[in-house]
Amino acid sequence: MAKIIACYKWVTDEADIRINSEGSIDFSKAKGKISDYDKNAIEAAMQAAQSIGASAVALTFGTAKAKLSLKDALTRGPAESFWVCSESAEKADGAATAKVLAEAVKKIGDYRLIICAEGASDTYARQVGPRIAARLDLPCITSVRGFEIQGDVITATRKLDNRTEVVKAGLPALISVLPEVNEAPIPGLKAVLDAGKKRSTEFKLQDIGLTDADVAPRTEVRDFKAYIMNRKNIIISADTNADKVKELVANLRKDGVI
Amino acid sequence: MPGIFVYADTVEACASLISAAYGSARGVCALTFDEKRADELGGYGADKVFLLKGDNPMQESYAKAIAALLAKEGPEVFLVGSSTTGREIAAKVAMYLDCGLVGDISSLAFEGGKTITTRYIYGGAAIQTEVLDGYAVVTVPKGKFEARKYEGKTSDVITLKVESDNRVTLKETIPLEKDSKDLGAANIVVCIGMGFDKKEDMKIAEDLGRVLGATIGCTRGIVEERHWLPAGSYIGISGTTVKPSMYISLGVSGQIQHVVGIRDSKIIVAVNSNANAPIFMAADYGIVGDMYEIIPLLTEAIRDVKV
Ligand SMILES: Cc1cc2nc3c(=O)[nH]c(=O)nc-3n(C[C@H](O)[C@H](O)[C@H](O)COP(=O)(O)OP(=O)(O)OC[C@H]3O[C@@H](n4cnc5c(N)ncnc54)[C@H](O)[C@@H]3O)c2cc1C
Repeated sequence: MAKIIACYKWVTDEADIRINSEGSIDFSKAKGKISDYDKNAIEAAMQAAQSIGASAVALTFGTAKAKLSLKDALTRGPAESFWVCSESAEKADGAATAKVLAEAVKKIGDYRLIICAEGASDTYARQVGPRIAARLDLPCITSVRGFEIQGDVITATRKLDNRTEVVKAGLPALISVLPEVNEAPIPGLKAVLDAGKKRSTEFKLQDIGLTDADVAPRTEVRDFKAYIMNRKNIIISADTNADKVKELVANLRKDGVI
Repeated sequence: MPGIFVYADTVEACASLISAAYGSARGVCALTFDEKRADELGGYGADKVFLLKGDNPMQESYAKAIAALLAKEGPEVFLVGSSTTGREIAAKVAMYLDCGLVGDISSLAFEGGKTITTRYIYGGAAIQTEVLDGYAVVTVPKGKFEARKYEGKTSDVITLKVESDNRVTLKETIPLEKDSKDLGAANIVVCIGMGFDKKEDMKIAEDLGRVLGATIGCTRGIVEERHWLPAGSYIGISGTTVKPSMYISLGVSGQIQHVVGIRDSKIIVAVNSNANAPIFMAADYGIVGDMYEIIPLLTEAIRDVKV
């Protein structure tokens, strides 16, 4: 059966990151998650697959840690999952990630549509979707807030900075979706049970015809540190709300902003 | 030979990129589709301007042609204005040329043939410095660098016919509901968060905004989930960055993706009923309490001092 491929990334949950006082970042309590917007990409693949009678599959590129993501992804509905496992994912930039995903897509084969989210919640670099399309020479529609497929044609609504566009393209194609494209449901118990029975395929880089050198990042990370906020952090503590407001206004006048 | 190429989908954004590249001693070449205004770019500091001409109304469709032009001209860096269109072109060009791309930078420097960038990651909790050695693409948020006019400076405009990729076709364009004021340039911002229960309740925030002469902004959910305010009203990493003298948040929890868009504010005020809300860590002044009581009091108090 023809496939709709949803790409997703297993990321560190930024909500669990602790910033130490000297500006270093403590990841020790941080858990992994499927990047928030990728949940919408997976749901978009589910809806698209249903509308044209195709099979939705999930694809990720990650280190050994990403194994945890497979069941989570399958719980969201896809019929099977594919995982390109390589420690190089740790340092991969957009160039490397897009190469890996594009080659994995070729390996999976028989696809009608590839769906990415606009950006991942860790890097939010917003480049992998169009990069994959460039590598596979596919028509590409970014910033999609809604779409429908009729026969071999996809019609999508795109959100741009000062306008909305309605565009059309023939399949196969790649789209990158905004979170407002759908509401990703929270999987129920049955979905969790079903996920255990689905197939996951693991690829190594050589299985998709790539070497470590092919996926060397093109950008060098020199430094990485917490953003330290330098604010007064004054909580106004008067007895009544009216007094709090008075004190706030006095402060704002002193600062010259009102 | 120009060392830095720049492209943005408006002349203003292009002028801002030229300004970022200017003085790098490497020369700046601007790419534009704007036939009417191409000759203005020389005055903003471009040493050379390519006016690209094609029949497709979607500038995204020329990514391959732009990559081919860059491959021929061999610049060191390609700076792209970060819009929906610009980001797509940047990503495709980077892939065609198999080079690095750093998106939505916070700062940019050129040092001894290398490009050094910083950008936020983890929603803005951390900042990452990257070094690009050799050819690279960088996207720059709108308004990051101030455009400058250079008296008497002009540049040749070279018209170039470019091939488009016509596989994606434009059927319809609908202008967005226009905001009366530019949020990014507002001097005072009142920000509406999901703490508001009903659309009508926003009136108390609007009253406060009125006495302050503020522009109303909001968090993402107010636009994308509740559709209470037009797109373009929300502040944060995927919305607008504001830099007012004062920003007041009302019923905003202060998740990092929002806070990253308010960091350039001079004074940050937060009203939230939850004393543990992260917004207080980002604020200069915080009031813990029910905003439904506090906002009308604040409006009154400000009206009193303003007269
Ligand atoms: C990749 C990514 C990008 C994102 N980009 C953005 C972005 O650009 N902009 C953005 O805003 N968000 C963005 N988000 C979403 C962001 O993470 C938060 O979910 C969002 O900012 C929360 O909005 P909020 O503070 O209005 O709502 P909530 O988090 O629901 O907070 C509501 C607050 O109101 C308070 N409250 C409730 N009732 C009252 C009352 N009566 N009086 C006083 N206080 C009250 C509550 O205590 C609570 O703190 C992004 C998320 C992701 C994953």
